[in-house]
Amino acid sequence: MARELDLNMPVIENISPLHFDHKLGFYGDYENKDDILKLTEVKELSIFQIAKFKKSSVDINQIIFNNLKLPTKSLTVTSDNIARILWLGPDTWLIVSRDKKLIEDIHNIFNENDFAVTDISQSRAVIEISGSKSKDVLKKGSPLNFNNDMFKPNNCANTTYNGINIIIDFISEKPDCFNLFALRSFGGSFYHSITDSCLEYGYEAI
Amino acid sequence: MLEIKCPYCGKRSQNEFSYGGDATVKRPTLGEEISTEDWDNFVYFRDNPRGKHTELWHHVSGCRQWFKASRDTATHEIFDTCKMNEAFNE
Repeated sequence: MARELDLNMPVIENISPLHFDHKLGFYGDYENKDDILKLTEVKELSIFQIAKFKKSSVDINQIIFNNLKLPTKSLTVTSDNIARILWLGPDTWLIVSRDKKLIEDIHNIFNENDFAVTDISQSRAVIEISGSKSKDVLKKGSPLNFNNDMFKPNNCANTTYNGINIIIDFISEKPDCFNLFALRSFGGSFYHSITDSCLEYGYEAI
Repeated sequence: MLEIKCPYCGKRSQNEFSYGGDATVKRPTLGEEISTEDWDNFVYFRDNPRGKHTELWHHVSGCRQWFKASRDTATHEIFDTCKMNEAFNE
């Protein structure tokens, strides 16, 4: 006999992707160092993937989203205080913001005849790493070339970290600050991969 | 490790890419009478040349685009890469 649905059952609380992995504190070789890495989980972001259909004749340069143009140059980001728009591939972008109200704007600007809009806010684990050694941490697992200023602030890249597909968003420098996006299901594994690489420099999980 | 120039992203490490086979193979035309032998040739049989080879690669861990590469199968030297709708510069 089928059980009746209990409408009075408690609502399950949203659990962040790294809820069971990200524990606050100091780790690794942090003693007697002024400049240790800082690691945090970035929660409650709105993340939308936008893909323009091949048949669409919309001129991307005419589209303004929240005063931002969609980047058409590879590996670049357009940003302001509210949102960041990452170039992911030809005619594909990622919009990242803390503002939940952007959803309406997104659906107004990117109409369904020209764009595929996918809300992937719940499917990504996001780590922010900052500190002067953060590039060294990324170099340990990613084949991306971080040398010779080839990867600068407001650059982004799809790449791998110890075999896990990730997106690196270079937020700012001095100290270097990156947002790292991985699939939620890989979040724990990716987090431990990053924190293992941080140990020799020492890090604070905040 | 090879360094492959994606036409969209620039030079990236080989482990971001996936090999996609011979780029010169043509699918039999839809709607035409096709013999079993033609299907066999299309699906299963490939040349295995030593030397310059035109092949497909997929930037699977990057921009997720397919592109063409001209590569020496003996030395692994990559002569050129281009978008699917373009021709090599060489």
